[in-house]
Amino acid sequence: MTLTRRTLASFLALFSLPLAWVLLLLVVPYAIMISVGFWTRQFPLFHPDFQFGNYVQIFSDPQYTTVIVRTLKIATFVTLGAVILGYPLAYFLVFTVRSAALRNLLYMSVIVPLWVSYLLRAYTWKIILGTDGALNSLLVSTGIVDAPLDIFLYNQTAMVITLVYIFVPFMVMPLFTVLDNIPRRLIEASEDLGVGPFMTFWKVIFPLSLGGVIAGATMTFCLAFGDFVAPVLVGGPNGTMVANLLQTQFGTALNWPLGSALATVVLALVLVLLQLSMRLDRAGRVDLA
Amino acid sequence: MRMRTLKTPMIAAFAAVAITAQTLAATAAELNILTWEGYAADKFISKFQTESGCKVTASYVGSNDDFAAKLAAGGGVYDIITPSLDTVPMMRLAGFVQAIDTAKVQGHDSIYPEFSKNSDFVAEGATWAVPLVWGSVSLIYRPDKFTTKPDSISVLFDPAYKGKISLWDDKSAIYWTARYLGYNNVFDLTDEQLDAVKAKLIEQKPLIRKYWASAGELTELMANQEVYVSNAWTGLTSKDVNNLKKGFEVVEFTPKEKAEGWMDSMMLVKDTPNQDCAYKFMSFMQSADGQCGIAESTGYFPVNPKAVESCMSDELKKERQVNNIEFVKSLVMWQQPKRLDKYLEVWNAVKAAP
Amino acid sequence: MTSKSIVALEGVAKTYGAFTALHPTDLAIAEGEFVTLLGPSGCGKTTTLRLIGGFEQASAGRISISGQDVTERAPYHRPVNTVFQDYALFPNMSVSDNIGYGLSVKSNNVPKAERAKRVGEAVTLVGLEGMAHRRPGELSGGQRQRVAMARAIVRRPRVLLLDEPLSALDVKLREGMQVELKRLHRELGITFLMVTHDQTEALALSDRIVVMNQGRISQIGSPIELYDNPANPYVADFIGGANLVPAELIGRDGDTAAFRIGNGMVVRSRRATAMREPGRRITLGIRPERFVAATSGATNSLECVIRESLFHGDRLRLELGLDGITMPLFAELPRTAVSSPSGVEPGSHITLLVDPDDVMVFNAKEDQE
Repeated sequence: MTLTRRTLASFLALFSLPLAWVLLLLVVPYAIMISVGFWTRQFPLFHPDFQFGNYVQIFSDPQYTTVIVRTLKIATFVTLGAVILGYPLAYFLVFTVRSAALRNLLYMSVIVPLWVSYLLRAYTWKIILGTDGALNSLLVSTGIVDAPLDIFLYNQTAMVITLVYIFVPFMVMPLFTVLDNIPRRLIEASEDLGVGPFMTFWKVIFPLSLGGVIAGATMTFCLAFGDFVAPVLVGGPNGTMVANLLQTQFGTALNWPLGSALATVVLALVLVLLQLSMRLDRAGRVDLA
Repeated sequence: MRMRTLKTPMIAAFAAVAITAQTLAATAAELNILTWEGYAADKFISKFQTESGCKVTASYVGSNDDFAAKLAAGGGVYDIITPSLDTVPMMRLAGFVQAIDTAKVQGHDSIYPEFSKNSDFVAEGATWAVPLVWGSVSLIYRPDKFTTKPDSISVLFDPAYKGKISLWDDKSAIYWTARYLGYNNVFDLTDEQLDAVKAKLIEQKPLIRKYWASAGELTELMANQEVYVSNAWTGLTSKDVNNLKKGFEVVEFTPKEKAEGWMDSMMLVKDTPNQDCAYKFMSFMQSADGQCGIAESTGYFPVNPKAVESCMSDELKKERQVNNIEFVKSLVMWQQPKRLDKYLEVWNAVKAAP
Repeated sequence: MTSKSIVALEGVAKTYGAFTALHPTDLAIAEGEFVTLLGPSGCGKTTTLRLIGGFEQASAGRISISGQDVTERAPYHRPVNTVFQDYALFPNMSVSDNIGYGLSVKSNNVPKAERAKRVGEAVTLVGLEGMAHRRPGELSGGQRQRVAMARAIVRRPRVLLLDEPLSALDVKLREGMQVELKRLHRELGITFLMVTHDQTEALALSDRIVVMNQGRISQIGSPIELYDNPANPYVADFIGGANLVPAELIGRDGDTAAFRIGNGMVVRSRRATAMREPGRRITLGIRPERFVAATSGATNSLECVIRESLFHGDRLRLELGLDGITMPLFAELPRTAVSSPSGVEPGSHITLLVDPDDVMVFNAKEDQE
């Protein structure tokens, strides 16, 4: 009896804070969000209700589906870009850089931008890609083009470039860890068996790093999917993403019910994605020991 | 799953500071204002604080739509808000504000009656808002990029300037387009008219480089040669861009379809505990110090000609349309659209369109 | 030897910055031999193996395999295969994929049917029938070891390199696998070059043992040669173990030389035929198992005090004290040599005898090696 009480006390001491955290800052808000999704907007505000009109509106009005599909598309491109950029970088850091000091320095230099304001980093791309920007100056001064091009900024490509730049550390971090954990002996074993570096990469290193690719891709995708800054800063008139729609419903439109319903749809999409990535990860998991 | 807005972190930070300041000064009289940047400039606010003994804490909004969003999210922090004409009725209808006893607002009688007696201000037998400052929205363009001087809103829809056009990211895009299409009932468009407006705006999208979200962003777009023509706050953007001396000029013009007019006013948040300070503030803003102070810090027009009588030069009075209430008639003054939700939905659909 | 040697090292050295892992070394291994590199950790044995495998680049010298200079070649261009210490099996592949891995790449040009046949043979050879579809994570240590073996031999290398192949196994399994290794070596008829720190393993398996110490080869020879005629105290101690006692030559009588050890006692040896000059300082080496229990003080008898006795089944291992000498001696006696348990209790006295034929004599300076 005393033991039970003591166990309970220490259990509470240990977990009450994180449990309270989860309950108050996650479970309760999600519950509120989901229930507000059934409320009714009535100018100028909204009132509690239970109806599915908001969901009907989301799935029947093309403006919402268009934006959701666009957001999925952009997040996919960002994820692909981050893999294409982040994988060779992580590979280079782990396998090519011999000096541990230099490797750590380079790794930190990839991570350090995370400490710089996200807004500032996104803003930088405006300066680079603009009509009067650094890229155009370079192109004009080298004579590649006669006049500045306006194709670099204020479109979806600029959003993808900016988001890839911003989120690439989230790809590099898990990849670096995974690649660094691959025993060098496996690479030696492959080469010992007459297999050159390229096939060694495809048959040994890449399959063993898939967990990192999945983790990085999931993070990058979710972060890009929920982004609202890139559309505002470097996106053009076609840049609206789901997060901007949400922002509008909770701000400008003051339609919290529709906003909540939309947020619930987004939450469901992200959950499906996480499930998918977890399954993939489990299927590909191997025991490195 | 992010629901914050771009401005939220900033506002949250301000709010946090405000709450802290409030707690610290719990005993002193205080006043919390939710307003526009430049509307609580130190220069005249410090004077008010000394005179009234009320400690002012200002938080800022980025658009008129932020007022409702902030107040709906639990706005007990604010005593006074300063929405524009087209947002005033909604504040009353949503129950965010309480009626104002104009007898307690010194100088209220000398405000242009066209403003102070506005039907949106005086409703249900009470007064709900006290005018603060006003101005217009016209068009600005780069003369060096145009062979002929534009004189119509149609320039915003001219394929010749593809990729060089900007427009305010606001429901007012509907007003501009409706007027371009020749509709006079700008604030009460029929469904057919709204459909036509929507189609026109979607047709215009490929011509748009970027919808601007703040005056600062438009200044940047102009200064960096991203766009050559846009609608803009009269007096503000052209001055800001030209001050940067980029080697080119931007010029304002009033299109033949008229410019738009706006007016910001003070409203008293429901059940505010700081009523005394709130009335003192409204009175102060109708004094010479208040009216000249805000006109100076923003570049907009005063609403109380008597107050600025002695604190403005004749030249400045002319520029700021003092006692030229006729000018108002040359503008399309903002009103709250009859079907605000519908307007917002149309504007959002335009932005979401592929 | 050089003409027939399958692996030849000429002046091969390896340095890491200021640290020398391997001093310039010559070594020739004949076709079909089972050679073991033996020594404690850090002696350079693994470095030598990795240099041959191509995982390290030699700082100096020349390495040839089958008469071809491979010093600059990448591992995948060398006709050797390695069984790694931790097996280094690919965790993402099944047993048969692991084994067939080296045959799967195009450059190896093994037709698919042939590949399957050879993988099947290798699986049978190492006794892994029925395990072909398992992943390495589902195998026991011994089974993984077999996969590693099969994977390395399936490519029919000229030389099989084995890096501490049995060290990760428990004792029982290790002994079984020793027999397996010996059998495989005989059946395959290829050259085995193994690295180990375990002298019993080396003695049991090798045709020749290369004893290494501090980056140098200390002695090369067959197990029997190394055991019977160690070239220096280091080898004597490392192979089989030996009591090393500093001593001084005091004279000789025919083929028997007499030495005085620290406490003034005299020990005679018949293995120092060349030593003449009295006063010369040397090191005596006596293997613990060469002592016999005696009753009286005959020639080469030592009066000892038992400090500790350890029961080793049919043998007893004694730690002994000798008057005037701080260093303990060790002796291993048959259990039957001691009449009663009380006779070997700590503190009791015992007289031990050693045949002058069994007293090894080393030059004192070799002690440094």
